[in-house]
Amino acid sequence: MQNLAIPASARTPAIIFDFAKHHLKLTGESYPEDVTEFYNPVFAALDAYLKTLGPGSCRFDFELIYLNSSSAKAVMMLMDKLDAAAAKGAAVDVYWFYDEEDDTMQELGEEFGEDLENAKFYLEKMPH
Amino acid sequence: MLARELFDIRQVLRKQGIIFAYSGYVTETVLSGVGEAIKQKLTIDDADTKTLRSVFAVFVEQMQNMIRYSAEKVPNSALEPPFIEIRYGVLTIGRDGDDYVVHAGNLVERSDVERLRARLSKIRDMNKEELRASHKEKLRAGPEEGSKGAGLGFMEIARRATKPIEFDFTDVDDKYAFFTLKASV
Repeated sequence: MQNLAIPASARTPAIIFDFAKHHLKLTGESYPEDVTEFYNPVFAALDAYLKTLGPGSCRFDFELIYLNSSSAKAVMMLMDKLDAAAAKGAAVDVYWFYDEEDDTMQELGEEFGEDLENAKFYLEKMPH
Repeated sequence: MLARELFDIRQVLRKQGIIFAYSGYVTETVLSGVGEAIKQKLTIDDADTKTLRSVFAVFVEQMQNMIRYSAEKVPNSALEPPFIEIRYGVLTIGRDGDDYVVHAGNLVERSDVERLRARLSKIRDMNKEELRASHKEKLRAGPEEGSKGAGLGFMEIARRATKPIEFDFTDVDDKYAFFTLKASV
């Protein structure tokens, strides 16, 4: 499968989906002008990948410094897709990295983590 | 005389502790530009990371609320996006003691006032734990009626604020009221 690599912009995070290594990553800030336009291709790529995963394993890293309220909805949808794949038998590890100086992002990570029923969730400080 | 006119406006703002003021048609590009300036100013002020991120987060939600919901708008359905419409709002960022204050205002339809007031009162009166629980619930639920966004913006503002949010409405004419929302960080 073709990897997905979208470089970060001032208002959108970098997307680094290395499907061959089963390591997917979203890193930076997220407050796009148009959330749907930015995240739709990301959802599509993730859906296509998860369909091929079967009982395989994958890791998804969220390394977000800041996200606005409409991006939070998009992140929830990514989490739901990952959790659904895990429910079907995939071994999914979700990492949420937060800046220790901003507990709001830590709390948000906890919120997302609580809703994961099948994927494994790890809440970690961003390395400095 | 010419200098005096604008200087007086500047003095009125300064006396209220205002360091940024924008009154006009609001676009995503304005959000990007003013947002960068705010980050720079707070970095120069040596504000801590949490304060900087919180001021910025409140600013983004306030700006996007005006861009999406201000009832004062100029539409032109003959054109393609982003020229279909543009909306008017006012936003200031100032200091009040140690706090940064983000204050935004725009017209709303008077028929929306009670709905907004009820929703904001509920959010204002929640403690941090209640806000967290309610945010989680809202994230799962669909957007509210009359809402184009995730409907989470007010909650994000309240979570980032270090004091209860303040809001007010004043009637402008038969159809419109001016709505303001103030958050301190």
